[in-house]
Amino acid sequence: MLRVESIYKSFDDFMAVNGACLTVERGALVAVIGPNGAGKTTLFNLITGLHKPDRGKIIFEGQEIGGLAPYEICRRGVARAFQIANIFPRLSVFENVQVAVFARQRQSHNLFQPAQKLARAETDAILQSTGLESQARRVAGALSHGDQRILEIAIALGSQPHLLILDEPTAGMSPEETAKTMNLVQQLARARGITILFCEHDMDIVFSVAQSIMVMRHGETIIQATPDEVRQNHQVQEAYLGGADA
Amino acid sequence: MSAENEKTVYESACIRENPRSKNEIVMYGVMLPKHMPIKLAAPRWLWLTLALLLALLLLPLAAPLFYIYIISVIFVTALLAMSLNLVLGYGGVYQFHHAVFYGVGAYTATLLITELAMPAWLAFAAGPVVAAFTGLLIGWFCVRLTKLYFGMLQIALGSLVWVIAYRWYDVTGGDNGIHDIPMPEFLMSFQGAYYFILIITVVCVALMYLILNSPFGATLQAIRDNPERCEAIGVNVRQHQLIGIVIASFFGGVAGVLFVALERSVFPGLLFWVLSLEILVMCLLGGWFTFAGPILGAAIVVALRTVASRYTDYWTTILGIVLILLIFFLPEGVMGWARERFKPRASKADQGGVS
Amino acid sequence: MVVDPSTVASLLLVGLARAMILFIVAAGLTFVLGVLRVPNVAHGSLYMIGAFAAFSITDAFGNNPAGFWIALVTAPLVVAAVGLIIERALLSHLYQREHLMLILFTFGLMLILNDMVKFVWGADYRSVTPPEILDGSFTLFDFAIPRYSIFLLILGPLVALSLWLLSNKTRLGKISRAAAVDREMVGVLGINVSWVFAAAFVIGCLLAGLGGALVAPTTSISLGMDQTIIIESFLIVTIGGLGNTWGALIGALLFGVSQSLGLLVLPQFAIVFPYAIVVIVLLLRPRGLLRSVW
Repeated sequence: MLRVESIYKSFDDFMAVNGACLTVERGALVAVIGPNGAGKTTLFNLITGLHKPDRGKIIFEGQEIGGLAPYEICRRGVARAFQIANIFPRLSVFENVQVAVFARQRQSHNLFQPAQKLARAETDAILQSTGLESQARRVAGALSHGDQRILEIAIALGSQPHLLILDEPTAGMSPEETAKTMNLVQQLARARGITILFCEHDMDIVFSVAQSIMVMRHGETIIQATPDEVRQNHQVQEAYLGGADA
Repeated sequence: MSAENEKTVYESACIRENPRSKNEIVMYGVMLPKHMPIKLAAPRWLWLTLALLLALLLLPLAAPLFYIYIISVIFVTALLAMSLNLVLGYGGVYQFHHAVFYGVGAYTATLLITELAMPAWLAFAAGPVVAAFTGLLIGWFCVRLTKLYFGMLQIALGSLVWVIAYRWYDVTGGDNGIHDIPMPEFLMSFQGAYYFILIITVVCVALMYLILNSPFGATLQAIRDNPERCEAIGVNVRQHQLIGIVIASFFGGVAGVLFVALERSVFPGLLFWVLSLEILVMCLLGGWFTFAGPILGAAIVVALRTVASRYTDYWTTILGIVLILLIFFLPEGVMGWARERFKPRASKADQGGVS
Repeated sequence: MVVDPSTVASLLLVGLARAMILFIVAAGLTFVLGVLRVPNVAHGSLYMIGAFAAFSITDAFGNNPAGFWIALVTAPLVVAAVGLIIERALLSHLYQREHLMLILFTFGLMLILNDMVKFVWGADYRSVTPPEILDGSFTLFDFAIPRYSIFLLILGPLVALSLWLLSNKTRLGKISRAAAVDREMVGVLGINVSWVFAAAFVIGCLLAGLGGALVAPTTSISLGMDQTIIIESFLIVTIGGLGNTWGALIGALLFGVSQSLGLLVLPQFAIVFPYAIVVIVLLLRPRGLLRSVW
């Protein structure tokens, strides 16, 4: 459903992404791994339109999306949760998700109907499925770090994505929060049939969850294969798993 | 709050718990309750509003002319401040030169009456429309930029409008402005003008209330909080900001028309940048994250000006001192302070559930 | 339309001289903006204080020509002292706030400073006579050239040069440039950022005061002279690129020259030309001509 074909992006003189390739099949859970600075976040930024690629193609559901504005890409079904908690801190948890639902329903230009009465069912459903319903009325900025990250995912779900991109969903979380989050992610994939693309530092998580793993280094793709194949690959062992992160 | 204490709060992060109150968080230097206040007016607020409206309707029967005039001025200024707050406090847009739309509304109505001899009601309707169009034009260029760049570009473009009004003596009367604009009979008395302004202001405020509580209003606030995230959930941020600016300049234009109805004169000061900053002060004073804050801010500034300038030539010093004290001690404004001050009781009631 | 070349030349000279004063004031504004990220609305008031201070100092010396030169040095220092007090007492506590709060703070400052000027110097018009060596004009190729304009044309580039030396060759300048880009990093390096900011603000005030002292002999000094200069320097800074000193120079030249040459075309609307140029520049390059420092 998503195909990234040898994509390039440089900032000034720094090649952040240097010919990376990626394939994501419908319904799969795909992980991108690589050392710090390998270009994972930049790759995600390119797919979601935050940066325009210098060269290369990004094809989503048969259509080229490289270089489109972020909101256009979102409307085609790619949603994203960010590495740092990227929420609407002054709004309530409910409104955080509701705004995303409005955007998807193309209601955000609706000027005269009270927002309170609209998109309630869908918002409540998302809050329930992410376990945030008891916090719905809290100011989002007052949530704990872990809950803010989950809210991130809940906001992304408001867009009813076909493909959900998660940038280190468990970074900075306690072990319990991590387990909870990964459970949620797997459940989303299974119950809602959402395709998930994520990057993650914790190798245990990656190898237990992902069906396909893409390994990046210096902005290049070393390999994309099943976890077993990746584990046995010499290049990967040298470049990455042999390092401190293993 | 002492300055030292405040500094440590801001240095570390944007958001953290208020060390002295468990019910609050500090966000970008502003204290907020942990639980959101109820968005749509609760019944007791509705009754209070209605009672206030009734009092305002009956006021001209009892009050001396001078008070009627001052309250009319407050209405006009409040509408202007609220229209700014629509994009500033709710939209997070650095609308640094909002007075331009006020002035354009006022000049449009005036020139249509004096130059083209149009009927007043038509000229009055045209004012806000032209102001909104100016907002579209200026906003279209400005939304390409963010924050401070946005503000500076708007000051630049707005100043061009000002300089035209200031220099085009043949049409705008230059720095003298235009005075004794002919008005329909019912506006010639202070009472008539008062009722006209009251009704229009109430209608506009109600409309703005609707807009801010609509999905568009929610989206606008989301953009204020985090524009990048908004793009990522499929919101065309620039387009929404532009719509917000057009709406704000429309209501700014309405305020300009009301000014003409009240004062029967226009002058370049209406679109001078100093006035723009004064309106900003009103929003800050009342509380720019609250709906009614700008009304209160406008009322305080107008009342202060009226009273203080009777006793001293240095009333702007008083405003300056108030402003600086406010920045140091009440960054969320009077309404924001009140909301926080009287919050604990309400927040307990809110904790129940998803309303 | 017949245009007399000597008229053009003299208008050009007037425009250039005006541009130099605009540059000095705008350079101060842009310097503060670049390092502190504070758009100082009170900058015009500081300029006005500089002009009034220059008047008082020359006045105190009676007819002695030395008075002007002393005023030229001391008036900016007076303004810088005012700036230092404001910075240490108030502004230094606000750096972590949003732009909006800072701009409103300087607005409050402007309101207070303007009233203080009214209180100290009153609402009368004042003037300063330059010393003989700068007074009047001399003749070159049949053109009458005002001496004071030449003086300004020498001084302007000198200020530009010293600002360039300051920010490129001194430790303070290097730190302040780094602070403009990434203030956390500078703090981590163990440099007391607070004093760097204070120094930058004081330099900005010094330039505002210098501009005020320099403009004193060319115009009547009065309340309200801050209102046009502040908006003009805001525009100059914006078209130059926020925080860019050379941008301020280009912007000031565009502004000053277009206004004086506009007198040839449409005298009544001369003031509109620079504004129109600003708008055209910003439509083409919304972030200004030169690269902003941040």
